[in-house]
Amino acid sequence: MPLYFVKSPKIILLIVLSLIILFLSVLIGPKFINPFNLDDTGRQIIFSIRLPRVLVSILMGSALGASGAVLQGLLRNPLADPYILGISSGATLMAVIGLLFGKIIFGLFSIPLLAFIGAIFTGIAVGVMGYKKGGLLPERLLLAGIGMGFLFSSILMLVMSVSADEGLKRAMLWMFGDLSMADWLLIPYGFAFIFAGFLLSIWRVKGLNALILGDEIAHSLGFSPVKERLILFISVGLMTASSVSLGGIVGFIGLLIPHIVRYFVGSDCRFLLPLSALAGGTLLCMADTIGRTIISPTEIPAGIITAIIGAPYFLYLLRKKEILGV
Amino acid sequence: MGILDLKKVSFSYNREEFIKDLSISVNGGEFIGLLGANGSGKSTLLKLSAGILMPQMGEINLWNKPLHHYKGKDRAKLISYLPQMLDINAPFRVMELVSMGLYPYDIPPQLSPEDAIEMVGLTEKKDSSITELSGGERRRVFIAMTLLQGAGILLLDEPLANLDIKYQIELIRLLRNLRDSKNISVITALHDINMAFQFDMVYIIKEGRLIASGEPHKVITGELLKDAFDIDVTFSDVIHPLNPLNKINYVFLKENIKENS
Repeated sequence: MPLYFVKSPKIILLIVLSLIILFLSVLIGPKFINPFNLDDTGRQIIFSIRLPRVLVSILMGSALGASGAVLQGLLRNPLADPYILGISSGATLMAVIGLLFGKIIFGLFSIPLLAFIGAIFTGIAVGVMGYKKGGLLPERLLLAGIGMGFLFSSILMLVMSVSADEGLKRAMLWMFGDLSMADWLLIPYGFAFIFAGFLLSIWRVKGLNALILGDEIAHSLGFSPVKERLILFISVGLMTASSVSLGGIVGFIGLLIPHIVRYFVGSDCRFLLPLSALAGGTLLCMADTIGRTIISPTEIPAGIITAIIGAPYFLYLLRKKEILGV
Repeated sequence: MGILDLKKVSFSYNREEFIKDLSISVNGGEFIGLLGANGSGKSTLLKLSAGILMPQMGEINLWNKPLHHYKGKDRAKLISYLPQMLDINAPFRVMELVSMGLYPYDIPPQLSPEDAIEMVGLTEKKDSSITELSGGERRRVFIAMTLLQGAGILLLDEPLANLDIKYQIELIRLLRNLRDSKNISVITALHDINMAFQFDMVYIIKEGRLIASGEPHKVITGELLKDAFDIDVTFSDVIHPLNPLNKINYVFLKENIKENS
């Protein structure tokens, strides 16, 4: 595998580009900070504000990119994204309830914790409903996720329609990806869960490749489709729940980043998975930098920017190049 | 005792018995065609032999050890299975897909992915996306993957379906060559009775029971086909133009559907 990395100029280009973008994101903002002439204020801005935010955006974006790549293989459906399992709607409902009625119980951790609880609860519920004799069935998982999504979205609308205006804007921002809550204290928890989920999926990445060929071929290659799917589902649940609880819902990345990365490196998940994580993290970091800079002091939610940058590029690839294998 | 033994195996989906008290024994290097009407249990028999389904009754032994006692990876080195439908929409490259045949191994065996691709004659397309290949080529890619997997028993469910006659002949030739060079046992579910004559041995299944087995020229008779498929046929014995000692059997339908409709 390492040889493949050395050999492939596209992969190296992607890594270098990502590193440059991540570095610039720390410097760019309402105030540009010159790294060669760093004063105390600049250092303060970088370490207290920008760096935690950049790290949160990388964590969230990586989790979404990797989850999307896993789910599209796991469900054998190119339209799958991490939110299709309804995990995000459970998280959103809890977070918005917290934002609207929140007497801050656990301080800084209130909203992320509520969102994480909502996400994990929904993930387990979808898993239970998607389970039948023979394991987690892709179609059942999808339908269970969509069903739960509808249920929670309608409850969410109900809650929002009867609540006072105060907190509504905050809730709306959260639903489009609000990274302004980024804080050093959250990063270790987010990192731990996302990294655990990512390691699980990398550990089973050959099983994921085999599942893409169908359960029977996976079995013939020596894998247990039931076991592989369960482990991968848990990995996606952990990554998605942590991502949503760090900064809300960011669309586009989980669905489309794996397709864009697939165009460059192919379908082999051993490359697709880590590079989708890298590309997802980079895109969200770039989007958040743009969102907090261009009309500052007003911030545009990162989710809106990711879609504005990403969707046209995706549509270009769809039209001009062969992606999705169609 | 063969390398794959099914002893008095019965299997049912939702209480309906699909395989009934079926026993077969497969030896090394056998080239077997499995014939039977739709729903006769050919696919179920292959899935049972691959360990994808578990029989409710009877036992299945692989190299004298119960099939379900094998760990997944160990079983994969001995027996491989390809389903009829190979519908994948992920644009894997030929090389990537074939290399998955190495997944059961911690230390790669001697055969390399390049060798396997060459054996199925797709060297020029090794970097193509499989979504760009024809049905016949795609089938060969999967065969190359199972070759790399190195199993001594190959279970193929209707590999000739959806292939035109040229690819059908090519595929059978490829499988026979593999049998000859590597002593692989091949068990293939078929729907074309005439293709069954290209196999050394046929098993004929009706309603989950084995009703006949043996060399195709001896076993495949008008009465048997009437019983297995409920059709009336006639046989032609044509002398092979290049090899006068060899007769070619060919099965024709007696009924002229065009006239009777």
